[in-house]
Amino acid sequence: MPHHEDDKTLSWPDWIRKQDDPVHAAKKPEALDHLTVLDCSYGSMAGCFASSILGELGAEVIRIEAPEGNPERTFSPFGMMHKDTGLGYLNEGRNKFHVTLNLQSQEGQEIFKKLAKRADVVIETFLPGVMDSWGIGYRQLSVDNPRLIYCAIYAYGQFGSKATCGKADVDVVCQAFSGVTAVTGELPEDPANPKPSEVPTKQGNWMSWYAGGAFAGLATLAALHFRTVSGKGQFIDVAPPEAMGRLINYSLNYFQEYKEDIPRVGNYDVGVFPYTYFKCKDGYAFLSGFSDINWKALCTILKRPDLQGQFPTIFDRLNVDNMKVMYKEIEKWTLARTYDEIYDAVMDYNKNIAVGIVVPGRVTPPMETMKTENWWVRRSFEKFNDHHYGELTIANQAWKMTETPPRVKWICRPVGADNAYVYSRRLGLGPKQLEPLKEKGII
Amino acid sequence: MAKEDYFKWAESVLDPSKTFEKPEALADIKIVELCTLILGPSLPSYLSELGATVFKVELPGAGDTMRSLTPFAKFYKGSALGYLKEARNKYHISIDVRVDEGKDLFRDLVKRSDVVVENLRAGTMDKWGIGYRQLSEINPKIIYIALNGFGQWGPYVERPSYDAIAQSESGMAWITGFPDKLPLKAGIWLADYFGGLMGAVGVLGALAHRDRTGKGQYIEFSQAENLIRVLDWTWIYQHLSGKERGRYGNRDVSICPADIFQAKDEIVAIGAATDGQFQGLCEAMGMAQLARDERFATHPARLKEENAVALLDTIRKWAATKTYEELNHLACKHGFGAHKVSKGSDKFDDDHLIQRNFTYTVNDAIFGPTVEEGIVPKLSETPGRIKWAGKAVGFDNEYVFRRFLGMTAEQIKGLKERNVIGKWADAPGRKPPEDWDGKKGVILA
Repeated sequence: MPHHEDDKTLSWPDWIRKQDDPVHAAKKPEALDHLTVLDCSYGSMAGCFASSILGELGAEVIRIEAPEGNPERTFSPFGMMHKDTGLGYLNEGRNKFHVTLNLQSQEGQEIFKKLAKRADVVIETFLPGVMDSWGIGYRQLSVDNPRLIYCAIYAYGQFGSKATCGKADVDVVCQAFSGVTAVTGELPEDPANPKPSEVPTKQGNWMSWYAGGAFAGLATLAALHFRTVSGKGQFIDVAPPEAMGRLINYSLNYFQEYKEDIPRVGNYDVGVFPYTYFKCKDGYAFLSGFSDINWKALCTILKRPDLQGQFPTIFDRLNVDNMKVMYKEIEKWTLARTYDEIYDAVMDYNKNIAVGIVVPGRVTPPMETMKTENWWVRRSFEKFNDHHYGELTIANQAWKMTETPPRVKWICRPVGADNAYVYSRRLGLGPKQLEPLKEKGII
Repeated sequence: MAKEDYFKWAESVLDPSKTFEKPEALADIKIVELCTLILGPSLPSYLSELGATVFKVELPGAGDTMRSLTPFAKFYKGSALGYLKEARNKYHISIDVRVDEGKDLFRDLVKRSDVVVENLRAGTMDKWGIGYRQLSEINPKIIYIALNGFGQWGPYVERPSYDAIAQSESGMAWITGFPDKLPLKAGIWLADYFGGLMGAVGVLGALAHRDRTGKGQYIEFSQAENLIRVLDWTWIYQHLSGKERGRYGNRDVSICPADIFQAKDEIVAIGAATDGQFQGLCEAMGMAQLARDERFATHPARLKEENAVALLDTIRKWAATKTYEELNHLACKHGFGAHKVSKGSDKFDDDHLIQRNFTYTVNDAIFGPTVEEGIVPKLSETPGRIKWAGKAVGFDNEYVFRRFLGMTAEQIKGLKERNVIGKWADAPGRKPPEDWDGKKGVILA
């Protein structure tokens, strides 16, 4: 690796930036450009995120929709549409070829079988057994293509006592089942008169679907490695509520040992204090100081050695009643300052005194996140001028990779926009063959 | 009938009771971890469930700070609950990588491994002489991932970070919660656990490239950027409308209906993401005509503010008259989505989750049966598994150095005497349980 020799004098940030700045991404190879993925997601964004992951890493993703377009195309805040496409879908259309195919028709199923013969991955989100009843489930497809990796995503999975229940997979429902919602949200200030906002609370984004998609991506890539080693494909079952539930700090083990549930404590944390948001003059600041040395650092910055004396150990600081007392005292200091003043005071301590560390952060409104230079310099955000959808702001995957960086090539495609290309390239079907299929409502 | 047959088949190919009869997807992959807290350590945990061998390297004595993180400072048999869960399946070794001999030991491990995971401050490993620049010289096939708050370069490179900072600076906290309350932090360390998960996906992407080309690579990963990527329509909405995304409580403003309601006895999420599901819900409510009402007949119409408010209000009033059992029965019959807001205790006893190996009992040699959040993806050929829970600092030193580095007992003793390697400090979270007999769980004892 000659670059090592050349650049030994460069500082670490300069050296690594030369290797992994996404500005060079387009000229580098792609990790998965040998893969073909068929994404038949229907009514769920979990499958769409899984295929986004594979597509951003280079796979050729063929997104299969019903001839009239799929319902997830309409997932959009307040029904706002951009060129007939909902904004939530638009964010996960990236790099995918969009074709239509009526999977309920026999002819559609035959076409799908042909596509799947030479595919590496199938992703689907129908109720369990639906694809199978159409003759295009893993059981049937793997006969002709034993190397196929088939990933089925559904809230209650493909087996287990609830798998046959028939209930729909909707993000908010998956979040509720995950166990995360129960421990997120404010407690009533006045328990006799709880407000509608003082209830278990979901994450603002489609967190369960994103977690489900991430685990589907993880499992698919692990299965791909196993296929490289063994030649064998396999069947994968992912349930988004379990995906989000796996991200819980500790819940089952706590119940096993103490026969009680982890309570909902708003912006506090039952395992760390202080580690929360405080109101300041111009917004909200996050401050931390959990371990004894960091707590002392925070009290030093606040010029409140008395607080440290009053709550000297983590055992004192993890008592919820004590948390409320400490919170009020810390808030007195933050309320008298702007966020920038708080940040400067803390970072000054970290730099110049540096006994322990206090980590500051700003609770940022998303419009300001979108204006923050750091994310643009690092291409976390990108203004992308799409051939069909025009200029839009998109967020890129966080991986900055030196050899095979992820990238976005287009944002989305209209319903069926790639029928001609995909069916001619994959199956040799020209306009003459496609026209009758169109008339019959197959594509 | 056909469906019955399908479920029988699915259960037979995914049957968790056959797990240990089947191979592991990543059985040939070794990972060296030099991480603290969660963002870094959770990454190899996910991969370990799929079969990777993980060497968790800690500094002798206190080890990983994560060993202090436990609810209400309750240490279970001397161990922090967060650590017990997350350090699953790992070999625990303890090396002082700040001294030369420790660095050599670390390099020897990396030479024999496939992946390095670290989450120290940007540039620390490079300064210590065990960063990517140095390690890729001795093992060009190495896949090296560095995770932290803000990355390895750029205006924020000096800033320290935590999970909550990523939640707040990405905008995620701002869009979570109710408009009359403060922005809301998730009740879990979401940016950490989800960051480790997506980091693991990146590592497997790099592994696919290495499987084809033999080339390793470096992956830089910022947990804040990872959350920015998954805030669904936030950025496109702000770009097109010029308006800021707000907090909308439990209502999903991009899918209607989708909200959380108070039933007679439980708090229940109800949702319908397709017209078919919505028609089912209307029938269940005894209001089939709603699905034909022009205000609600199509999804874009339902999403309009005034229509959504009216519809959710109707559902709210209806749900308040039903028990969860009734709602669940109707959801099964009519195919809309409904589930109660579930707690740990609900999931602990849920036979569905137990059958699926999500509610997982680890048969741990040291701690006994330990119930944890278990396996998420079920793989028919290479099912995931948990072999043991987190252990004390340096617990597996002797085994790892003997088996993987071919060291003799004398050499290991020498390293101990020179304090290059070590064991646990006598402090909560670091040591084995009080009643440990000095043998349980020790490999090659």
